[in-house]
Amino acid sequence: MSKTLRITRLTLKEAMSRRLIPAGIMVSFLYIVLFAVAYNFAQDRGVQVITGQRSRALVSIAMASLTLSGLYIVNLLAGFLALFLSVGAVSTETDSGSLHALLARPMRRSQLLLGRWLAYALICSVYVSVMAGLVMIVAALINGYITPDPAPAIGLMVLAMLFLVTLSVFGSTFLPTATNGAVAFTLFGLGWLSGVIQVLGDTLNNASLLNLGVTVGMFIPSDMLWRSASYYVQSASVLAATNVFKGALPILANAPPTPGLVMWGMLYPLLLLGGATFIFSRRDI
Amino acid sequence: MQAVSTRSLADRPTDLGTVAARESALAIEVTGLRKAYGQHVALHDLNLTVEPGEVFGFLGPNGAGKTTTIKILLGLVRPTSGQARVFGLPASDPGARRLVGYLPENFRLQDWLTGNELLELHADLANLTREERAWRIPEVLRLVGLGDRGHERLQSYSKGMLQRIGLAQAIVHNPRLLLLDEPTSALDPIGRREVRDLIRALSSRGTTVFLNSHLLSEVEMLCDRVAIIDRGRVVKSGRLDDLVRGAPELMITLDCVDADVLAVLGRFGRVLSHDLTSVRLGVTDASVASVIAEVLPRSGYRVYSLVPVQRSLEDVFMGLVEGSRL
Repeated sequence: MSKTLRITRLTLKEAMSRRLIPAGIMVSFLYIVLFAVAYNFAQDRGVQVITGQRSRALVSIAMASLTLSGLYIVNLLAGFLALFLSVGAVSTETDSGSLHALLARPMRRSQLLLGRWLAYALICSVYVSVMAGLVMIVAALINGYITPDPAPAIGLMVLAMLFLVTLSVFGSTFLPTATNGAVAFTLFGLGWLSGVIQVLGDTLNNASLLNLGVTVGMFIPSDMLWRSASYYVQSASVLAATNVFKGALPILANAPPTPGLVMWGMLYPLLLLGGATFIFSRRDI
Repeated sequence: MQAVSTRSLADRPTDLGTVAARESALAIEVTGLRKAYGQHVALHDLNLTVEPGEVFGFLGPNGAGKTTTIKILLGLVRPTSGQARVFGLPASDPGARRLVGYLPENFRLQDWLTGNELLELHADLANLTREERAWRIPEVLRLVGLGDRGHERLQSYSKGMLQRIGLAQAIVHNPRLLLLDEPTSALDPIGRREVRDLIRALSSRGTTVFLNSHLLSEVEMLCDRVAIIDRGRVVKSGRLDDLVRGAPELMITLDCVDADVLAVLGRFGRVLSHDLTSVRLGVTDASVASVIAEVLPRSGYRVYSLVPVQRSLEDVFMGLVEGSRL
């Protein structure tokens, strides 16, 4: 285990040395500031224009939507980070040869792979938690919109990131970095599409379409996990509103995730990681 | 570079059980090793033994299978069939790698680290304790001539310095077997001499050295035994002295070389090469020279010189490698 953690430390140090973490913090800070400014502006305009009770409720729903949009973009940004960060987890250094001397040490390849994965998982989990938390805090401070269940919302977003990191690490054990990048991003997009197909199937009561969306979503659950997270961000009044416009917002869910989906979200990355270890331990370096 | 100090790193307590069992084992034992990449066969039935304490030269042209062999010895590549053992342990066993130091060809490394950090990393992964690392890292830096450069980032190192730090990471845990893949290829003549001195010093302390190289003069200067590999097969192996001073050769210079004189000389040995006025003849006994000196004038040829030739490793190598390509 100590060697695994040594590799984790090395990977974190690399992310710092290559200025990935400092640059990420700066850009993310910029995003949060921009979000706060936009949110504040929208809030001011809403209060100026709207007078009636019913309209005020609409403003409140609009602000909730803005919060959800902010979180959705955090989800996308974190997804990109997860994929960019780990796309060459072991392939880049295998190709360049800089892994050879490390693997010539008395260390199992699974320790190296797990060490790398832990570092990426840690970075992405912290990133998505902090960013989502900041968006929720900005929403609460400016508009008073309190996220009903922040913990499960953030937890599910973290699970989505863990899946993406593991998917990318898995690919890097047998694909060249560029190919793995292309495949992982395409699958990320496919996951998003599967979500849209599910919402469409649900709205149109079309079982085939729904099943297709769910089947693809089981293999690429990032979008399903995000939508599940979105449920816990919506207050009762917002949920009522999104129920009315069901289907018009394919990035949101208006029902909590099934226990099966949450279990799968936790189990699937572990299965992928097991597969990655199996492949990496047996391949020629 | 400085002389190797007498301070030593003891085997970790966890190693002690297997150390005794390995004492009598060969440093390297390769049996029937074969590696195929699809249709391409990189190694055919390779057999090799290296005794503990030897400096062993593994020679061959580019693409002969030298690096593949080293990678199999380190468990980086899985053989298609056959066995590779290091001090009696299967090469795929991580335990075998406790005893091995490795300098890859064109050593590439985590260049965002400093020299000290790289050695810390490798020493840590090689199970050195914090206390051992504290004195050993400055020592190996001095040994490879980078005494005061450990705090600099590897990005700022020259090619030669990178090769030195590569060597430092290979010896940081005082390995019993050192696998060096073209260790001096990036060094200038002074650096090469320093690396040679270091290898000699390590060898004198009992370290087994497996030297992969195509620099024949270097192998000649350092190695006790050599194996020459070509297209995945060992074409010759043995003590360097025996290879170089194997079958004697004669260089005969005469007025004219034609089919008749080649036929005459063919009775005394094997014609290795010839041009218009000279013949290189492989013989079983150099004393046959006096008979040739009598026979050739009787057949109407003028002999200008007839001298025994001391073969160099390069002659042996070229003869074997070129011979197999004809």
